[in-house]
Amino acid sequence: MRQSPFGATQAPFSHPGWQIGPGLLIAASLLALTIAGVAALLWQAHLPEVSELWQNRYLSNVIQFTVWQATLSTLLSLALGLVIALALVRQPRFPGRNLLLRMMELSLVLPTIVAVSGLVGVFGRHGWLTSVIEHWTTVRWNLYGLNGIVLAHVFFNAPLAGRILLQALESVPAPRRRVASQLGLTGWWLWRTLDWPAVRRVLPGIAALVFTLCFTSFAIVMTLGGGPASTTLEVAIYQSLRFEFDFGRAALLAIVQLAICGAIWLLMVRRGLSANLSAQRSFSESILRPDSQGITRFRDIVLLLCFTLFLLLPLAAILFRGLPGLVTVAVDGGNPLADLGHATLRSFAIALPAGAFSVLSALLVLALAGRGGSHLARLSSVATAVPLMVPPIVLGTGLFLLLRPSLGHSSQGLVLVALINGLMALPFVTQLLKGPLTGLDQATAQQADQLGLLGWYRWRWLHWPRLKRPLALAMAYGTGLSLGDFGVIALFGTPGQPTVPVLLYQQLGSYRLELAAGTALWLVTLLLLVFAAFNLPGYRRKQRRHQPDALKTLAEARHA
Amino acid sequence: MLEVKDLTFRYPDTETTWRFTFQVDHGQCIALNGPSGSGKSTLLNLLAGFLTPESGSIHWEGRLLNELPPWDRPVTSLFQEHNLFEHLDVQTNIGLGMHPGLKLSAEQKQAISRGLASVGIAGFESRMPGDLSGGQRQRVALLRALLRDQPILLLDEPLTGLDAEARTQLRSLLLRHKAAGKVLVLASHDAEDRKILADKQLNL
Repeated sequence: MRQSPFGATQAPFSHPGWQIGPGLLIAASLLALTIAGVAALLWQAHLPEVSELWQNRYLSNVIQFTVWQATLSTLLSLALGLVIALALVRQPRFPGRNLLLRMMELSLVLPTIVAVSGLVGVFGRHGWLTSVIEHWTTVRWNLYGLNGIVLAHVFFNAPLAGRILLQALESVPAPRRRVASQLGLTGWWLWRTLDWPAVRRVLPGIAALVFTLCFTSFAIVMTLGGGPASTTLEVAIYQSLRFEFDFGRAALLAIVQLAICGAIWLLMVRRGLSANLSAQRSFSESILRPDSQGITRFRDIVLLLCFTLFLLLPLAAILFRGLPGLVTVAVDGGNPLADLGHATLRSFAIALPAGAFSVLSALLVLALAGRGGSHLARLSSVATAVPLMVPPIVLGTGLFLLLRPSLGHSSQGLVLVALINGLMALPFVTQLLKGPLTGLDQATAQQADQLGLLGWYRWRWLHWPRLKRPLALAMAYGTGLSLGDFGVIALFGTPGQPTVPVLLYQQLGSYRLELAAGTALWLVTLLLLVFAAFNLPGYRRKQRRHQPDALKTLAEARHA
Repeated sequence: MLEVKDLTFRYPDTETTWRFTFQVDHGQCIALNGPSGSGKSTLLNLLAGFLTPESGSIHWEGRLLNELPPWDRPVTSLFQEHNLFEHLDVQTNIGLGMHPGLKLSAEQKQAISRGLASVGIAGFESRMPGDLSGGQRQRVALLRALLRDQPILLLDEPLTGLDAEARTQLRSLLLRHKAAGKVLVLASHDAEDRKILADKQLNL
């Protein structure tokens, strides 16, 4: 241990190299991995003529449909999210507020394929709601195709948009809200002076996020697409790779996807619009708004109740439809139970390393940003945003082509799945850890500098107490996202060795619906257990000791 | 002796350049006089190493401090507020001033307990800063500064906002600190504080 010129003790790992080196290595590796994947697409595949994109009717339809469904889903998700956020701001004492906020969180971490089975239970041909509607009205509707894809995207993304917009609306300073209340501003003027300035800051970022998620959606389109007319780029890439073995076409489509998503996210990063996309629980002061009474109040409550049902019914369907199946599997035992057990172990063998990889990478890359210097901060920002720019299927395709000759054993494929899953979770895990890790106020930082709290000691006394709970939550998110993944695993996995989501897909595909419902419920149970396991110990500690409010952070999860 | 010579500083995108020159001997307190915005806090931040001067020098006992980072300087700062880590208890807050890894001997732990008793908050070791009054928090911060045992104490409005009793008690602690040979650099709007504590004045 070194001594300072005036005898003060210096901390282990306090040399700046310790803070820059590992983060730089990880950031560079992330970028190198991505570049290698994309480069492999360009070099290893024999690309067909680019003109095929518009001359081949199927391909041009795929591109048009992908853009159309993503645009429609984004517009509807943002509109519904905004309406719900405004209703929640106007009605802070809505009795089901906490339940609704919880539901909005849960729908985000729900594995896509599980949520789809819940949506089918409500909106499918024999679904609860469909039966009611068809009994009482002449309306006939088909969940499969554009309807189902957009509905599922709205189910996932309206809560995401709503929570971020709610956070933005509640961040309006209390004095400004008091003035608006005193002046009795309502309608257009209230929107113009109070709500719109708050919303406009986050709207482009949310729109980009939701559009990218819908544009690259895989499991929803696979299960609800209903045929070639409703194929997206992501599914077309998968089909080219797995069934047609047309790597050239897959590469061409992947490049189109990369160009569109990359352009959107580069624009966001350059304009700084990707910041603060994570929703945080707000504890803002509740101030009565002039537009929260009378008919508006009634309308808001009806709206919030309908939205609660929209989120609650598919979850209830998962529970009620899944319970008999799960009980049957548990009681009967035999192959289904063994399959489920093996799939569970395989899922955890992928998900736990994926979660740990995403959390460790996020910590190291964020430490890089904390060193100051615009170049390092930008490198950190780009490295963690790369997975949003380069969708998993694109990265997976590139790495698949790059490693194809040496990918001999199936376990190697699973390592790759864990790596890509970890990468995919990185942007969201980073959002969770960013605030607690880099948000030290100036007074605290100066005080720590003066006391020599550097390196290991700074981590021990300043960062660790603030990061304990966000780290546990981040680990839960990273693990949970990988646990529910049905994108990358579909590309690299082998049908004989399924994970739980792949098993679910196989059961749905072979019409073993009772088993499938049981597997869906099992997957949700696993997810809840993961969140409980990672978060309960931290929760108990928090109740024993004081913790800063900055820890009360939540982030969204990508649904694969 | 603390010697500051032709120390200049200018905030980015501003016209004003601050220039400071003064000396303080062991056991002396220098008070910085001037209205808000006259550079009192800027000077304290330059001495602490939180800001980097454009030119000039800071010497302590003949040794140049300019290039040293905050953690290697022989100074401790005491601000009007935000002196404590809110998520750590009183004993940890003080102990970190004695060893940044909190590797404290039994003797050092006893010194903390004795120190707390001497400033009128005996038995407060496990209290969190959020549970303390403003005066109690400043006493904890000052006790940490005393036990940290650095020769220069930088005081930025340390008694502002405290009640009369707390002010009197903290002033006497600072006087004891000064009598032990420490150097005090005091920025305060309060004329009485300056009159009681300072041996010399620097008009900014």
